[in-house]
Amino acid sequence: MPYPTDPAGIAGLWVAWLLMLMIYSYPLYKENLAFRFAEHTYIGITLGVSLIVAMTNVIRIAIVPMLQGKYHYIIPIILGFMMYSLLVPRYRWVSRYPIAILVGTGFGLGMRGVLIPNITQQVISTITPPAAGAGAVDWWNYIYIAIGTICAVMYFVLTWEHRGGLGSATRLGRWIIMIGLGAYFGNTVLFRMAMLSGRAQFFLQVLKIVPM
Amino acid sequence: MSEELTFWEKLARIDRRVFYWILFIGLMVPFIRPLGLAITVSPSTRDLYEELRRVQPGDVCLINIAFGVSAWPECMPATAACTKLLIRQGAKLIIIGPYYDVDLSYEELKRRCAEDFAKLKYGEDYVYLGFYAGGEAVVAQLASDFRSVFPTDAYGTPLDELPMMKNINKATDIRLVLSSDTGDWCSYYIRQWRIPYGVPLAEIGIAMLGSEYMPHYRAGILFGMSVGVRGGAELEKLIGEPADATIRMDAINISHILVIIAVLLGNIGYFASRGKRR
Repeated sequence: MPYPTDPAGIAGLWVAWLLMLMIYSYPLYKENLAFRFAEHTYIGITLGVSLIVAMTNVIRIAIVPMLQGKYHYIIPIILGFMMYSLLVPRYRWVSRYPIAILVGTGFGLGMRGVLIPNITQQVISTITPPAAGAGAVDWWNYIYIAIGTICAVMYFVLTWEHRGGLGSATRLGRWIIMIGLGAYFGNTVLFRMAMLSGRAQFFLQVLKIVPM
Repeated sequence: MSEELTFWEKLARIDRRVFYWILFIGLMVPFIRPLGLAITVSPSTRDLYEELRRVQPGDVCLINIAFGVSAWPECMPATAACTKLLIRQGAKLIIIGPYYDVDLSYEELKRRCAEDFAKLKYGEDYVYLGFYAGGEAVVAQLASDFRSVFPTDAYGTPLDELPMMKNINKATDIRLVLSSDTGDWCSYYIRQWRIPYGVPLAEIGIAMLGSEYMPHYRAGILFGMSVGVRGGAELEKLIGEPADATIRMDAINISHILVIIAVLLGNIGYFASRGKRR
């Protein structure tokens, strides 16, 4: 996006810049009125935009086709309206039907593709040794992942007390899980830093210190 | 009467706001003066690039923009690099997204690939179908019938009136899917597209998803994977156009150095003052 030249564009940019600083005033200073104003503005605008987009979507994919003769589209529309019965305590039970359909459909669809990618393929991938010509790193990864997977799974075997050989394996499994969670957390920090760097860049762009 | 703090105790009790200020200011430095640190390409990114290079002219590819505006710094560089590559391979693009602000992300994607999109004709070379709601159920429905989810494109034109969409209506009509997301969307495409229909799938995710989808990449379920802004920088290097992510990687490196220093200082302060507390 090039630096805007029209007054509305420039005003929008500076409003965004100021709202950003208001939000950051919370971690950089402390909770204050400016932060709360920006927070409530953000929530209000997000809700408004979400509502419009959702309504437009319902009109586009359900109401218009229904008016064009696809009368069966009335069923999801009615189910959608039934959800609003949550707001009336006396008729709250009505909302259980669309929720049951949603949960049932979601669960059924989810289960459809779980077995192969999450279990079968993972087991095959774990026990398949590196191809011919693989380097030391590949072999290290293979051994580490194979042992790590077995030990991490054993940590959740609660049928027997974790003592003796099983205790050693589960202790190693716990370490493997902790390393995995550490890597996950490290990636989380990386993501947050990338987002923050985007704001730092925007801060400079609005001040025309760096180009947009 | 308050006890006087030792140097180590003060070190362990530095106000976190001091660190936040240092971090925020430190992140700005590379944007003003890029450091140009070296970027090495990881195997998962290279596999993604190589597969995209195998796309033939006329192949239809689906780009799922499943990230909001806040994740642009993470996801947009890699998505833009892949889009450029696909356009240069002659692919036809279908662009969709499950986030409310997908219109903004689509416009930003077009802006970043402006030179490439300028050579394309809307409706013949690419279409933008816009927002879709409904999570995994809708992803499953898309696989069997595009038109039930998107009767029209984002501008209200019926799909049958778009030349590119004439013979496209199900997962098997699609050459590959790029799912660029901040959440579970790649899992939905794995379960509803990759496994039942065998459609090649790649993930362009935020850094957090790197750990989550690496097993799927290693198992061959994903043909490639770009992890966070680093993946974006790697792809920019591979296509020979250093851009946003390449500069941003310097900022990320600085931020990580600061985090490591903060962790070290906090731990040194903690362990050094532990004896006293005992």
